[in-house]
This record gives sequence, structure tokens and C-alpha cells, in this order.
Amino acid sequence: MKQYPWAVPAIIVVCAIVLAAGPLVLPPFYVRVGQLMLYSSGLAVAWAILGGFAGYGSFGHAAFIGVGAFAAGLVEERFSSLPTPLLLPLGLIVGGLACAVLSAAVAYPILRLRGTFFAIAMLGVCHVCAELNNNLDVLQGSLGLNFPAITPTGWDPANFFYQLYLAAGTIVLLIAWQIRRSRFGAGLLSIREDEDTARMLGVPTERYKRIAFVVSAVLTGLLGVIYGHSLGYITTDSVYRDDTNLSLVVYSLLGGMGTLFGPVIGAFMLVFITQVVLARLLDFHLFATGLLLVVLVLAAPGGVLGFVRSYRLRRRSTAAAPAE
Amino acid sequence: MVHSKKATRRRVMANFGVALGAAALGAPAIRPAHAQVKTLVIGGSVPLTGAAAETGLNVNNGYITAVSYINDVLGGVEIAGEKYKIDLKLFDDASDPARATTLIQRQIDEGTNFFLGSFGSNIVLPTAAITERAKKPMVQTGGGSDAIFTRGYKFVFGMFPRATRQFAATAAMFKSLQPLPSTYSVIWTNDAFSKTAAEGVRLSCDAAGFKRIDGYELPAKPTDVSSVLGSVRATTPDLLVCVMHDQNSLLVARQMVATNTNVKLLFQGLGPQLASFREALGKHSEYLCCSTYWDENVPFKDKFFGDSKKFVEYYKTKFTRPIAYHVAGAAACIETYILAMQAAKSTNPEAVRDALAAANYETFYSRIKFTPEGDGDELLMGGMIGQVQKGKLEIVFPAAAASAKPLYPAPDWDKKA
Amino acid sequence: MNLIAQTLADGLVLGGIYALAAVGFSLIFGVLHVINLSHGILVLLGAYLALIFSTTLHIDPLLTMPMVMVVLFAVGYVYQRFLIQQAVDRSPLGSMLLTFGVALMLQNIMIWVFSPDMRNITPTYAFTSFKLGPIAFDAVRVSCLLASLVLLSCLAALLKFSPLGRVIRATAQQTLAARLCGVNVRHVYALTFAVSAAFAGAAGIVIGIILPFSPADEGTWTLNAFVVVVLGGVGSPAGALIGGLLLGIVSTLTAQYIGPSFPNVTMFLLLVLLLLVRPQGLLGNAFAPSR
Repeated sequence: MKQYPWAVPAIIVVCAIVLAAGPLVLPPFYVRVGQLMLYSSGLAVAWAILGGFAGYGSFGHAAFIGVGAFAAGLVEERFSSLPTPLLLPLGLIVGGLACAVLSAAVAYPILRLRGTFFAIAMLGVCHVCAELNNNLDVLQGSLGLNFPAITPTGWDPANFFYQLYLAAGTIVLLIAWQIRRSRFGAGLLSIREDEDTARMLGVPTERYKRIAFVVSAVLTGLLGVIYGHSLGYITTDSVYRDDTNLSLVVYSLLGGMGTLFGPVIGAFMLVFITQVVLARLLDFHLFATGLLLVVLVLAAPGGVLGFVRSYRLRRRSTAAAPAE
Repeated sequence: MVHSKKATRRRVMANFGVALGAAALGAPAIRPAHAQVKTLVIGGSVPLTGAAAETGLNVNNGYITAVSYINDVLGGVEIAGEKYKIDLKLFDDASDPARATTLIQRQIDEGTNFFLGSFGSNIVLPTAAITERAKKPMVQTGGGSDAIFTRGYKFVFGMFPRATRQFAATAAMFKSLQPLPSTYSVIWTNDAFSKTAAEGVRLSCDAAGFKRIDGYELPAKPTDVSSVLGSVRATTPDLLVCVMHDQNSLLVARQMVATNTNVKLLFQGLGPQLASFREALGKHSEYLCCSTYWDENVPFKDKFFGDSKKFVEYYKTKFTRPIAYHVAGAAACIETYILAMQAAKSTNPEAVRDALAAANYETFYSRIKFTPEGDGDELLMGGMIGQVQKGKLEIVFPAAAASAKPLYPAPDWDKKA
Repeated sequence: MNLIAQTLADGLVLGGIYALAAVGFSLIFGVLHVINLSHGILVLLGAYLALIFSTTLHIDPLLTMPMVMVVLFAVGYVYQRFLIQQAVDRSPLGSMLLTFGVALMLQNIMIWVFSPDMRNITPTYAFTSFKLGPIAFDAVRVSCLLASLVLLSCLAALLKFSPLGRVIRATAQQTLAARLCGVNVRHVYALTFAVSAAFAGAAGIVIGIILPFSPADEGTWTLNAFVVVVLGGVGSPAGALIGGLLLGIVSTLTAQYIGPSFPNVTMFLLLVLLLLVRPQGLLGNAFAPSR
């Protein structure tokens, strides 16, 4: 991989093109599952920019999904007279901007906390946003917000949103890849390893953390805007969900915390399990999801990629050991 | 020794496998041959876990009661000369709209043509959007929010009038009380249904000439209402109207008793209809009013069960859970579908949809008629008012369906012997 | 004047209950450094057990406390020793996710066994109230407050004066040194968790008497515990009491003067604010390593 640095994005783009053909062959249910998988993996990678690379695992990223979706929806409702193709870009800009402002405002104080305190603080921020959204009538959180239909005529909405999520997810993944191979990314990784030492060695930790936080928040918000459109009608409960907050952590844990593709793998796996496998088991899904988490933590704390890595290491070491 | 044990176990497993295989092969032959009965698939989601699970379970049981009665007791229904049994395909949406929409889509793929609704407007709306787009009818008893019926959907029908119209009956009953009350206050919780319902209360009561003193909004899951009750004690409205779900109604009622907050009439939209509510409050539940959409004493006749009493009897053979009106409403959804199909003489979704729009059927639940937007007709399907009298829920309004007269004003809490 | 006094009184009563509901969580965080996301479900387990015991044995719900606490003590010990300890060894985030997974599983089991309906425990004195001067008190809530205070003092006494308490404090302050002194740290961790679970169960009884409850409520009580711990400080009953009382008063004041639907907003704002200003809480970490 090192000799051909452009191999990774090329592979990503090729995979994206292959996936784009999905709706042509898959029945609509699987297209919807595909939507959820792409949406979740986009969110997972956006979260991982802060949580995986920098080690600041946030338990409240659903705040940005909600803020992005509601900001976009409210503005689009106000400007509903605009021609339809302009509505989604307008929503994306407004949603992204709202998340940027919120995260920039919150970043300075919140990033002084570390570890579990940071996680809880972000959970608190998420709930504050959710409650304000719910209780201030002008934000229409409890009554619900309607999104305009943005699907171009002739295009099946499920297919349209699938392609939207695919495009968004690919962009997020490419951004994450670029971050990871840049000096900025190396700085983030050093923050995860040992923040104080990194700072002593001259890494501008505060600035990097803030940039990562805002980037992560904006990308999450953009995905939230698309999510709002795909649901069509949202209330506070549809977007500021605690189970989303936890899922974002689980995706990285399942796939491999801190890796680039780990969150994607984790997202695909978890969505597959909960939507396809467990869909048939009416009464069991909470139990089964819980069991999965327990087994995951006990058996494979490094996630899938961590497991693969340790397996490969073990193979290499037994191969190198002298034969008995 | 070990070797022979393994062989024995393997042999046992092999024998078992052969026996199973034989049974599987033979099973179809064992099934009795009977006349060609077709299956009618009705799909949908209900919240069996999550926030809406308590009523979701009632709705689920209602669907099951109707379907099993039709299949087992009646042996199926006849539509356009063919006999049909109903195959009910429901799944748990865990009170999550994203999950509900994905799984409804799967059902549409698999060829399901008719849908039942979930419970909770925030789940019903997105799922209704999908069934509408696929041009499949949805008959639901779980979403009353105006948003569902003002989007121009043609394939969605609801068993209740929309939330802002649900209080016409209540206001009319208030007007019939002697001596005439003059003031009222409203308490509601901050969620899509209660807010629009509270708006409906305001519209109906103001139109009926009552003066509104105050409106109080509680969080969606209140834990303490002492400050609101303090205000109520200070402003003494004649009527106090609570629009919220049953557990919150119970909280309000208990704290009212404990703080000795008295009003001449306490109306709680959801709460006193449930036996568990009345039991928890004991003698303090006397005189409390609620809206009810059905009760086993309603006089409607029905070609499936006969009447409500027989419905309740059959329900009790299947479930031990106390019955609530959502059970009946859900069963009525199934009946409405069958009646519409019989009227349309077809199981084609679009034909059935037209029959539903023109519906005017009598079921044990009530007379079924929809407005042009799809919600229940205000007068025919709007609620009745019940009042707890001597531990029982009596219907006190409208007079045509009443089993008792409304008692007003209510005595103070500590005087309820 | 009266209104403020009444509001404050209501807040204190509510706060005492919040404190009891959070003290177990606080202890676990202080001693084991584990965030127990299954705290809420243990509280609900207490509530359901109290419901069963009080209806089958026909006794006042508060009297079921010893039985419920014993059951939850046993459950907590086994849970920690054989499940959580494994996760603690492996990764810091792991224990959080493990407890979350167990919470989901227990929630599903409760839904199967008890159905998702709202339940409540109604003691015989559920509707009485009394007045102290111009301020009205709800008898149920006051008796629950008294129960909370008694239990919190018992726990404080346990931690301060009993041998077990000393061992727990020692393990929390300097784990390695405790081990070197011969303390079986795993056993102590399990005992701490067991005590904490017992208190969660007791809190559940109290909550079950005051509010309607159902399996879906478990998240609320875990979140509540978070806020109380952040406000009051980690690891001590006094901290939990301060945090709980503060939360209770803030809730009722907000409900009275800003609007009945805003207490949650202020609760979380307070959480975030305190995390920024004084993350170890007002009383700090009770087990801060000694110099």
C-alpha cells in the first residue's frame, strides 16, 4: 500500500461504483437496508475522525444529526417556494453551517475534558440540544417537521436516497483517508497515544482537536440532513436517539477502533445483523443485540480488524518459531 | 470404550435424523385435504418494545383476536365468491420509525397489499408515506395527529378523527352539565399527539363558550407536577382537562389527591378507561371523566362477532390481559378491510381503497365512515365520554349511547367515600 | 414567599430520592472506575421485585426493602465477579459497552416476564398529605425521603466505620498497595458492586411507589445517576446527597419559574456546565489518592 498511495482511494471509488449498481439488482427491501448500511458507515467514519483517530470518543454525536436535520428542515420549510433541485443543497449548507457553529462554540470548553468525562459531557450536550429542540415551539421538535420531497421525478425515492448516501459516505471516507495520511492525521494519532507528550513535542494539540471536532460534527450533520429528507417527517425522538449515540461507538469497536475501514465494517455488520437477521425475531432483538455486545467485548475487544491483526501476528510468530 | 460411545451417539443421531426426515416427508400427506382456500396477507408493524409498547400490545392483541376469530371460528371469509383466510404478518418496530420503514418496505416487496398501522404518529407518518407511494391501503388505529391527514394521502385511513377534532364530544358534554361550568384549564405533555389534542381542546371548548384560564405544558415524561398543581389551586378552574397518556394521567391524579387540589370536574383523556388505573386510584377514581371510543355495552351490531359482548367473550378465551378500547379499534380495522373487500368484490388494492373511501359500515366497534382526508368521521367515530361511577366506567355522553347520567360537580378528594 | 418555600420543599423531597437512586452508581465509579450503564435496569429490577413481594406477601412495599436488597446483593456480586471483571481487564470502554449490553438483555427479559405495561406500587398511605405551617407535603414522597436518608447514612457509616468499608476505601485509593497488603481486590470489587446493586434496588422500591414505571424507563435512571454524580462528586454518599438535592431543587425551581417542560434542559445544562468547571463534582472524588 505504501508504494501506491493512490490505491486506497481508487479502491474506494471502484467499490462505490460497484455499489451504485446495487439498486438495479436488489429488491427494494435490500436497497433500504443498503441505505441504512451506507448511512451508518458514513456516520461511523465521521465519528471515528474524532473518536478513533484522536481518541476522543464522543457519546453524543446524535446531537449533530439532530441539529443538522432540524436546521435544514426549518429553513427549507421557510423557503419552500424555491425550485426543488435547490432545496437539498440549501439544506446541506444550512445544516452543515449550524453544526459548524455549534461544534465551534462547544469545542473550546468541552475538549478540555478527556476520556469518560468527555464522553459524558457530549452526552449531556446531546440531551441539552434535544430538550431545547423539543421545548422551544419555534423549533417544532415535539410537533414534528415535514421535509419537502426532493426526489427528481421518475426516480424511485429508495434508489435516489441510496445513491445520495453512497455519494455522501464515499466523500466522508475519502476525507477520512486524506486526514489519516496527512500531518494533521498523524497529529491526531499522537494525541490518542499520549496527548501530553505530543504537546511537549510541539504538536498543536488544541488546534488539531478543535479542527477534528468541527470536521466530525459537520460531516455528521450533513448525513443528518439527508436522513431527515429520507424519513420525510421527523420529531425529536427520530434523530436525537441514545441508541444512535451508542451505536456509533459500537461500530468502531466492532470493526476496529482507530482504523479507517473498521467503522465501515462494523456498521455494515451491525446493520445487517439487526435489520436482516433479527428482523425475523420479533421479541428477541433487544436481547440479541445486548448479547452481541457482551460477546464482542469479552471475545474481541479490538473489533474485527483487531482480531484479524492479532491472528496474523500469531500466525507470523508461530511460523517463525522453530519447529518442534 | 470411547470409540463405541461415539459410534452409538452417531447412530442415535442418524436414526433421529432419518425419523425427522420421514416425518417431514410424510407431513404433507398427513394434512387433511380441504377446499381451495386462498390466503389474504395483511402486513404492518406494531411497537412491542420501546416507549409505545403498552398500547402497542393492546393493538396487536386486537388484530390477533379478529384474525383468529375469522380464521378459526368462521372458517374464513368470502370475497367475490372465493373463500379467504387471513395471514397476519406483523413485526415489532421497537417504537423506531427507521426500523418500521425498512421492514414495511420489505413487506411491500414480498407482495403484501394491505397494511395496518403502528401506534404513535411519529411512526405512522413515515410508514404511511411508504405505503402511499406504493399505492397500498393502510387502515390504522394508532395515529391521530393532523399531520397524517393533511398531506393529501389517498390510501391512509384512521379510526379516529384527527387530533384537533377529537374534542367536539367533550365540549358538548361540558355544555350539558348543570350548573353550567364557566372556566377551564388544560394540561398536556410535550409530544406530537398531546400537543395537537390540547389544541383541539382549546378550539372546541372556546367555541362552546368556556373561558380558558391557563394551559400547562409538561415534559413528555413528567416526574413531578407539583408546581402546575400549585397554580391550579391558586386559579380554581371549574374544569381541568388533561391530555396525555395513561401513566402521566395517573401521576397527575395521585399528586392532585396528595396535594388536595380540587376541581369541579377532572377530565383525563387517557387513563380512567383502564381497570389498572381505577384500581390504583381506588375510591378516588370516582367522578373522573375520560374519552372512550368503545365499551362493551355499545349497541352496535356486527356480522362477524354479533356484538361487543361476544367480542369481549372471545377475546377473553385468548388473552388474560384486561381489554381496552384499542383492542376493539384494532379488530375493527381488520373488519373494515374485509367489509371493504366484500363491497368492492375484489382484493385489488386500488379497488379496496375506493371502497374504504366510500365506507359506511356498522361494526361492533362503531359505525365506520371516513372523511375525504381519511380520518374518522367526527360525529360517528368521535369519542364518547365515560365517567367512573361506583367503580365502573359508565358512558355518560352522547345521550343515545349513555348508560348513566353525568355526575357534576365532583366532591372533594377527601370526601369520596 | 410561600411559593418559594413550597418549591424548595418539593425540590428537597425529590432530591433525596434522586440521591438514593444515584449513590450506587457513584460508588462503582469511584471504586471500580467503571461506568455502569446497567444501573437503571437494576433500579427497575428492585421496583419489580418490590411489586411482586408486596402483592404476594401483603406487606407494605417499604418493608420489602431487606428482601429486595439481599436479592440484588447476590445478583450484583455474581454479575461483577464473573462478567464485568472480565471486561475491566480488557479495555476501559469495554465495561461501559458490556453493561449496556446486559442492560438491553435484562430489559428484554423484563418485557417478556412483566409485559411492557406501566406498573405502580400503591401503598395504603398513597393519598395522604400533611402540612408543616403553610407548606404541604405528600406523605408518600416524604416517607421515601426518610427511607433514602436512613439508607444513605447507613452506607456512609458502613464505609467509614466498618472493616469492609475500610477495605473498600483502601482499594479505591491505592489498588496496588491494597493488593500488597493482602486484599483480595476482585472480591472487594464484587462486594462493592453488590452493595451498590442493593442500593439501586432500594431506590427502585422508592421510585416504584412514587412514579409509574416500565422496562423502557431504565435509561432515565442511569442518566439521572450520571448527573447526580457529576454534580455532587464521586464515591461518597454525602456527594450523592448533595448532588441529588441540588438536582431536585433545580428541577422544581425550573418547573415553577421557567416552565414545567424545562427541568430536563436545566438538568443537562448543569451537567455540562459542571463538567467544564468542576468535573470531579462539588465534593470531589471521595477516594482521591492520599498524598
